[in-house]
Amino acid sequence: MSDEFVRAISTDEIAPGGMKTVEINGDEIVICNCGGTYYAVQRRCGHMNAPLDMGTLDGTYLTCAMHCVQFDVTTGEALSGPVPPYFGHETPPPMMGEYLQNIGMLMKHVRTESIRTYATKLEAGWVQIAL
Amino acid sequence: MNAESRKRALHYFFEKVVGPLGFKFTPDTELKDFLLEQEVILESKHGIPFCPCQPIRHDRERDMQIVCPCIPFHRKHFDAIRRCWCGLFVHKDVIDPDSLPQLPPKEVGLE
Repeated sequence: MSDEFVRAISTDEIAPGGMKTVEINGDEIVICNCGGTYYAVQRRCGHMNAPLDMGTLDGTYLTCAMHCVQFDVTTGEALSGPVPPYFGHETPPPMMGEYLQNIGMLMKHVRTESIRTYATKLEAGWVQIAL
Repeated sequence: MNAESRKRALHYFFEKVVGPLGFKFTPDTELKDFLLEQEVILESKHGIPFCPCQPIRHDRERDMQIVCPCIPFHRKHFDAIRRCWCGLFVHKDVIDPDSLPQLPPKEVGLE
């Protein structure tokens, strides 16, 4: 990580509790406004690459919309694994059942990794990010 | 995954749920820490932070009723004993959690 900060977004572009995605030099980054303190993390979930900006931010905890894996945006640390799937009481049709079984078998081997964080600073109404 | 970080996160989320229900975390910090740790272990095993003091029956409908904080599913019972079953949460006015015995529903006239 370099010490060179680049302008990402204006501070008024995200309301407190909100998130916004920017792409800088090919890096997809989610900027989170946690009550006026801005944090920046990689956009892709450390579990299955889903876009984290489609999840929810509560305090400094970001929950992925795909499998509810949670991250702390201050450190990028993965706090939980995926929530187990539930398909209701109905037995899925045979082909769908096989498909789900295969997916489940593959997913068992997917590790949840922590996500990358980027240093941020505020300057003249801009959120700047160190790439 | 770091258990301490997860405990802090669970604390944060649970507090938001139990507060409006009239409950708070037990003032017994040692017990609180221990129970949260057990929930982190259960979550890492099952993917869900179940109550550490109730059996998992592998019956989805019943098991969902012991996902912490399980207060809404046992409201009458917990209001009667002024604590949740494991004692992680107590009524907001409780100062001395040790004074609250763990009474089953039958003993408080609910069954």
